[in-house]
Amino acid sequence: MGKQARTASRERRAAMVAAAQRRRTYRIVTGVGGLVIVGLVIAIVVTIVSVAGKEKPNLTGASSNAVVAPANATATGAIVIGTGDAPVRLEIYLDYMCPYCGRFERANSGEIGRLIADGTVRLELHPLSFLDKSSHGTRYSTRAANAVATTADKAPDKVLALTETLYGHQPVEGSAGLSNDEIATLANSSGVPREVVDRFQQGEFEAWVAASTESGFKSGITGTPTVKVNGVVFTDDLYTVGPLTRAVETAKGR
Amino acid sequence: MADLLLRVRRLRHANGWIYGTMLVSACLSLTASFVLSVDAMRLAADPGAALSCNINAVISCGTVASSWQAHLFGFPNAFLGLVAEPVVITIAVASLGGVRFPRWFMFSAQVVYTIGVLFAYWLLYQSMFHIGALCPWCLLITVSTTLVFATLTHINLREGNLFLPSAANSTLAGAVKADLDVVVVTIWLLILALAVVLKYGSALFG
Repeated sequence: MGKQARTASRERRAAMVAAAQRRRTYRIVTGVGGLVIVGLVIAIVVTIVSVAGKEKPNLTGASSNAVVAPANATATGAIVIGTGDAPVRLEIYLDYMCPYCGRFERANSGEIGRLIADGTVRLELHPLSFLDKSSHGTRYSTRAANAVATTADKAPDKVLALTETLYGHQPVEGSAGLSNDEIATLANSSGVPREVVDRFQQGEFEAWVAASTESGFKSGITGTPTVKVNGVVFTDDLYTVGPLTRAVETAKGR
Repeated sequence: MADLLLRVRRLRHANGWIYGTMLVSACLSLTASFVLSVDAMRLAADPGAALSCNINAVISCGTVASSWQAHLFGFPNAFLGLVAEPVVITIAVASLGGVRFPRWFMFSAQVVYTIGVLFAYWLLYQSMFHIGALCPWCLLITVSTTLVFATLTHINLREGNLFLPSAANSTLAGAVKADLDVVVVTIWLLILALAVVLKYGSALFG
């Protein structure tokens, strides 16, 4: 065998060793990668299971309470504010987490308060909780709606003030929302009596909120804010002062 | 079993499979871009269209669409998808038909698409941690962009189109041949899935 042939075969052998080594490295990397994949799949499954499991006690906890309606609620799931003989019936469907409901409230709350006070409007407020899914599992919509319903039950004259304050300090949609303590502080500052605020924690009306959310959407509304004047959906500009007032006054004149 | 595995691996490295995956993913991205563009136009024509919080959507009130991140360059980002994805579709279809593009062309495609992928992930990050809303069509774009990127990289490493030093290219091409890219992409997509479940699990499965 010539020197050249020997060198060539040595080189071939070295290349084969290198290739084998490389294959081994790839196999190790694949193995480690496989473990990571298994780990990630387990993590995903565990997360889904724990999230699905965590949500259930909340739901059953709420619905195991019998549905108790606030003292002055309608059968359709609304809180009534104003005198029964007012000529205009104003229905508002809102969620305390919904940013556009906040815009609507900030624009119109003053006018609505005035129209109720002068006997033109009887307000039927439907606090909904469908945006519970947008508060990291803290169910801010339900907690806020329950606070308002509790206030309607025991101190109905403070409902508008509380609604205005809650929207004035509205949390960002998709955040954890206000804590129970923060809701209580805001309620105190809106003049809701302390003994009423203390009842918020009990969640007496959470089941009612859930039931009226369901009946609200069954009745045909598709989102919030939905505003109806004497039963007719108001489709004009909801976010500036004026159009709603005019619609109410037109309805009154009829 | 080993035979099946071998066949799957051979299929995975076949041009038909690679360009086919690229074609399907690019079509998905194009569809999603189209839907998002139409939504953006509707929102521009009538801001009231999305003003009601729709209970059927995982996102509410067009939160993502009306953010500044969604109009980074002064027009809806989805328009970029409408411009770029047809090019990818053309490359995939031509390659399926046997056309081989010059090295500089494939290299440029890789560079531009890499920028696109980075942009898609930046948007995902923004929508997850700053806008705080989930946009299913955007998520579809993120996933399909990842797949196009993976197939493009697969081709370009195999053909040595990336102007890398030859040692680096042969190591990477060897890794692709040993299917390590599948491992990487799988881990990548699973991390994405995990992030979505962690962040939005309560909204999706609650």
